[in-house]
Amino acid sequence: MASDSANTLMLDSLSLSIGGKPVCRQLNMTFKPGEFWGVMGINGVGKSTLLQCLTGLRQADQGQIILNNQSLSSYKPVERARKMGLMLQEYEYNFPCTVMEAALIGRHPFVDPLQWENSRDRDIAHQALKQLGLEHLSERFISTLSGGEKRRLNLATLLTQNPDYYLLDEPVNHLDIKAQLDILSLLQSRFTAAEHKTHCGIMVIHDPNLAWRYCDHILLLDNGQCTFGKTHEVLTTENLSRLYQCKVKKISDQQHTLFIATP
Amino acid sequence: MLKKHPVFFLLALVLLSLISFIFALLTGSVSVPVQELFSLTGSPLSPFHYSLIFDLRLPRALAAFTAGGLLSLAGVLMQVLLRNPLADPYVLGVSGGAALAALLSMLAGLSSTWLTGSAFLGALISIVLVFSFAHARGSWTISRLLLTGIILASGWGALISFVLVIAPAERIHGMLFWLMGDLSYNRPVLPAFIILLLGLAGSLLISRQLNILLWGDLQAGSLGVDTRKLRNIIFFLSSLLTAGAISLAGSIGFVGLVIPHLVRLLSGTDHRLLIPASVLTGGSLLVIADTLARTVLAPQQLPVGVLTALIGVPLFLYLLRRSQ
Repeated sequence: MASDSANTLMLDSLSLSIGGKPVCRQLNMTFKPGEFWGVMGINGVGKSTLLQCLTGLRQADQGQIILNNQSLSSYKPVERARKMGLMLQEYEYNFPCTVMEAALIGRHPFVDPLQWENSRDRDIAHQALKQLGLEHLSERFISTLSGGEKRRLNLATLLTQNPDYYLLDEPVNHLDIKAQLDILSLLQSRFTAAEHKTHCGIMVIHDPNLAWRYCDHILLLDNGQCTFGKTHEVLTTENLSRLYQCKVKKISDQQHTLFIATP
Repeated sequence: MLKKHPVFFLLALVLLSLISFIFALLTGSVSVPVQELFSLTGSPLSPFHYSLIFDLRLPRALAAFTAGGLLSLAGVLMQVLLRNPLADPYVLGVSGGAALAALLSMLAGLSSTWLTGSAFLGALISIVLVFSFAHARGSWTISRLLLTGIILASGWGALISFVLVIAPAERIHGMLFWLMGDLSYNRPVLPAFIILLLGLAGSLLISRQLNILLWGDLQAGSLGVDTRKLRNIIFFLSSLLTAGAISLAGSIGFVGLVIPHLVRLLSGTDHRLLIPASVLTGGSLLVIADTLARTVLAPQQLPVGVLTALIGVPLFLYLLRRSQ
């Protein structure tokens, strides 16, 4: 039963605010599997808040979120966690825990409450660690990891969860430039370049150059005003200059496009 | 590692518990030879030894084991609730409410059954106060809960000092013993033991969710944990366990803080193993500590809380130093 609305995520006149400031007003839009969205906006505009709302962890002021023709709030928490997964900007964890154990929590929504994770769950977690180049660290305590390794571990946990919708809050901060490209290519291959388009990525990102290169859709948040659409239509110098309140120039040659902010 | 053989680890702890009981049953002002306890000499226990062991030492060892198990489990849960390895069962003021109620009933000269009941009631009042104040404006954050608990605890502390000041001199000694944690009174063990079993079963049912909650509300929520409900369950479970422990044995310190740490070093943070291991370890160590408390300075009995603190403080400082 594949129809156009199968597994789509629809915002139905969604209004959301944080501390009295609007994040979006009466927003109507649709995310589909096979798309990789970049969410951009100045600091404090509510990008993370929007991601939490899309994950179902925060109530909207008005309107609703509809996943696969059903209101997101009507899903049971565990069912929702199989559809929507969130990678946070930061994690705080104060107890001893190995890299493998940390990745394995991604299987929580799939393992019966009184069951232990079996070898298949471990294989899935191991695969995710391998994709991020962490398999040789799997028995290390997470407190001994570097900032970049922790970031990759957080993504490995989300890959282990492998929900339909990946909500990513600045997944490449703390990473060196090569690692940024590796991770974004990995994500792109899971969303837009996949053979079966079953997953969708919605990623908060600050660098317009990375967004231009990897995301096929962009959502700009500007104090309640939302602009969204195909990357090449939305990521214009006019839009970026207005969004960041500074002059943004675009330099292109045959292969590359570069955005530069000037004071 | 131990993590790969959880069954052997738990069996070793069951063995430790048995050894602690045998130690408690045989040790005291009159020592009973181990052969006689197991009737290895062919002759049964003498009536005097029988009464000594089954009427005095066994109930006391059971009480110590129950109190140790309750406090350790409550400590594990409180550390998850506050996402802080330095939390202990008393940090939210439950013990203060219980202590005040217990001292008031001692002041009124009530019997020990009343004392147990009023301590439990005082703990419950304290729990409800913390919960409703921390929830007053809907949002429930860790720092708000912690602050509410600490403020209430210091309020209870002031009232306890006040009771101690106005209490007649002959009652002060008993009150101080109670405050430090003491197992020398004959108190009903069965209700506390039932609380321990229920608490253990309840925490095992939510043990995997506890692992996830340590990652924070947002991560746990995105992995399908109903964090609000889970927090409420943890709060009431750990408070009930603490109330049970305090009514049984007064405010024994350090067990609820040190035991979860100690066990985590051996077993890791997975609560499916950490929870039963902490109950067994906490129970047996308190049995051993209480046996020492009644024999080290015999015929003078020490409050067991003094002994756990004397062992617990250096042990904790050592662990803290090692973890850095």
